[in-house]
Amino acid sequence: MSSTIGVELKGGMYTFMSLKLHTNDMSVIDAELADKVLQAPGFFKDTPVVIDLSVLEEQEADIDGKALLECIRRHKLVPIVASIGDRSSGLASSVAIPLIESGARRSALSREEPSQSADSARKEAPSNTQNPIPDVDLSVSREVEYVVKAPLLIDKPVRSGQQVYARDTDLIVMGQVGPGAEIIADNNIHIYGPLRGRALCGVSGNTSTRIFCQSLEAELVSVAGNYRMLETIPEELRGKPAQIWLDKDRLTIEPL
Amino acid sequence: MTKTIVVTSGKGGVGKTTTSASIATGLAKRGFKTVVIDFDVGLRNLDLIMGCERRVVYDLVNLVNQEASLHQTLIKDKRIENLYILPASQTRDKDALTIEGVARVIHKLKKSDFDYIICDSPAGIEKGAKMALYFADEAIVTTNPEVSSVRDSDRILGILQSESKRSKMNEEPVKEHLLITRYNPARVKDGQMLSVDDIVDLLAIPLLGIIPESPSVLDCSNAGKPVILDEESEAGQAYSDAIDRLLGEAKPHRFMDAPKKGLLARLFG
Repeated sequence: MSSTIGVELKGGMYTFMSLKLHTNDMSVIDAELADKVLQAPGFFKDTPVVIDLSVLEEQEADIDGKALLECIRRHKLVPIVASIGDRSSGLASSVAIPLIESGARRSALSREEPSQSADSARKEAPSNTQNPIPDVDLSVSREVEYVVKAPLLIDKPVRSGQQVYARDTDLIVMGQVGPGAEIIADNNIHIYGPLRGRALCGVSGNTSTRIFCQSLEAELVSVAGNYRMLETIPEELRGKPAQIWLDKDRLTIEPL
Repeated sequence: MTKTIVVTSGKGGVGKTTTSASIATGLAKRGFKTVVIDFDVGLRNLDLIMGCERRVVYDLVNLVNQEASLHQTLIKDKRIENLYILPASQTRDKDALTIEGVARVIHKLKKSDFDYIICDSPAGIEKGAKMALYFADEAIVTTNPEVSSVRDSDRILGILQSESKRSKMNEEPVKEHLLITRYNPARVKDGQMLSVDDIVDLLAIPLLGIIPESPSVLDCSNAGKPVILDEESEAGQAYSDAIDRLLGEAKPHRFMDAPKKGLLARLFG
């Protein structure tokens, strides 16, 4: 028996950017995508995206799947999978990429496809066909592994013109972030020094991420794509320790 | 052990060549065998400041291309023992320099027992500036007390951290020094210029010296004499203090405060 492992099948949690469609009007989608990508062309290039069709499903709207994929690819994004919500109107079948189902619907599916242990449970109690899977079996069959990635720690100042990106993790800067510097993270950003450049957290769409800094003098702050420039930051918050976060889609800045 | 020091700034016209000339002269005056290299290929200036423009025969590009020997290329200063100038080529551009070629020159200088190699960087962040800083052990970042100069200095500090040989080889990082030039305390007081504290706070590197704005800097440039040799002038004294600090001596900073006006000056000023 060989001691080395060739492949491993494991559950994992990954963060992807999702593209939520609120309309099926291709011209609107095209124009708005172009606008978004233009804000940070280098950042969006070749980024995998999940197409979130849940809103269109609710509206029972139709969409030209082929045109949609072409449009997304034209903007240099890589559609990898489509996601649907609780309802399925068959819309997703027109988009020719793999499908994942989110939320309550997913657990509903699990009930329809009993696991092995459920099978044995059924054998033992063949009369109980209305509710073949006891809840306790569900918890056994659904095993999720949480992978914690170490934060990216920068122990010197981030200078003008430098760019730092913490992929899938937190970014910690032990020093200042100079004007014209850019720090980006998929998770939270912590700065133990003045923030004078740009800081963008939750860039792949995580709206529960925050930015913390010891002196807010930033050119721009952004949480999950919601941004503010220095001009619109109230005078009384400038130069003070602050945290920046999203309160129901509203970018909020508070002193620490 | 030879020490290679780059004098750099990002921005042009802040006093890199003036500083290179005075730092090299100051070190040589204290007995160290010193060479100052002009990396501004195509825009040669150092020879003028050093007053040796009539004695340039071969230049850095000839040396890089192995068309002349080190002995033929180095110009020996007439005033100070141990001081040599390696001029830039005026007829070529920065593309004439290669890392391998510059490495060969630095290696030859080290074998010739130089204590200090001062590299006078051109402005900008392009090839010439990157060549000048690549081999540096230490960097003197020359900054004027105004925001654009400070931001450019911040940028060049970032490049020092990522594109110098020390950073690429994962060696101990380049030692950084801040030299504030053209400092005018009266204008700082009026809020027209950034203060020393502001600049140190923005750049977060140790302060090597403050060179006050002084008419003697221009006078000396015109005369082809490094300003450090003008011992009467405040700028000359400030450069001399900076040399002491560079050599590890702790000296209080001077020329930070506006001179107090006398009664007559207050009445008629």
